[in-house]
Amino acid sequence: MSGTSREIQELLVDYAGALRDGCIPTFLKSLSREEAKLIATSQEFWDATESVRILNSAGFADRAGTANVSLFISRVDAEIASRMIKSKTPQRTKHGAKGRFIRESQLK
Amino acid sequence: MNKRLRNALKGLTAPDPERRRRAMEPFVRATFEAFFRYLYRYLGNEVECEDVLEDVYADIWENADRLRNIANEKQLLRTVYLYYMRKRLREVYRRMNRNLCLSQKSLTDLVAPELGILEMMSQLELQQALRRMLSRLKARERRAIELWMEGTSNRAIANELKTTVGAVKMLEFRTMLKLKKMLSDYYVEH
Repeated sequence: MSGTSREIQELLVDYAGALRDGCIPTFLKSLSREEAKLIATSQEFWDATESVRILNSAGFADRAGTANVSLFISRVDAEIASRMIKSKTPQRTKHGAKGRFIRESQLK
Repeated sequence: MNKRLRNALKGLTAPDPERRRRAMEPFVRATFEAFFRYLYRYLGNEVECEDVLEDVYADIWENADRLRNIANEKQLLRTVYLYYMRKRLREVYRRMNRNLCLSQKSLTDLVAPELGILEMMSQLELQQALRRMLSRLKARERRAIELWMEGTSNRAIANELKTTVGAVKMLEFRTMLKLKKMLSDYYVEH
């Protein structure tokens, strides 16, 4: 990345490109302190991001998609099953941890 | 709202967890496409959309109280975004934020913003409005946006429009602002 800060229109276009290409983390990491300040204070940037999201939604969301909804449903079901098990398992208490520590120290 | 979705919603608010689990399949089938498209506008990435949605559906299974009095699909989408998706969207980049220059507020506004006027419109309404607004733009502005939407790089757009990359970026920025204003006016009018 170059040493000079990007201007607001460049930042917006880079954000739009990152959203379009699905690499927002790369854009976020590329921001310098000055650029972050510029973004925070620019109302135009925030107004334009709304259009960018709309264009992204209208232009690309239809083309993207998952191949198999049934497979996705089984993922959701597995996540639910795991949460059900977690909610049934009693939480380890502080008292229990302390007891174990004492036993370990006694062994030494 | 169609009957299948209404029944699934009824099952989701049942007190029995097993019944809620059984209701999840028809609910996912009825809503997956709409939720996926909606999330895609914030993430732009299929894999992340699926990961976030998996947690969103599990959160809904855990506590679907917010979905008790849903009257239509638009309200459903809005409620799910405000009470389930936003929380998960914020978590996507939360861990990364330690190494970023962006403030927590800016990051939240960027990845999980408040609902703006345009975000209240359905996908179909948006597409219709966008088509109409694009036709009202100047030829050069329209061409730049159309090329951008086809996935063309800024350099290729500059070559096509016989100008510099810097000028294309400024043109795109100004056109995005113009589109936002036109779409907001359209929303108020209709």
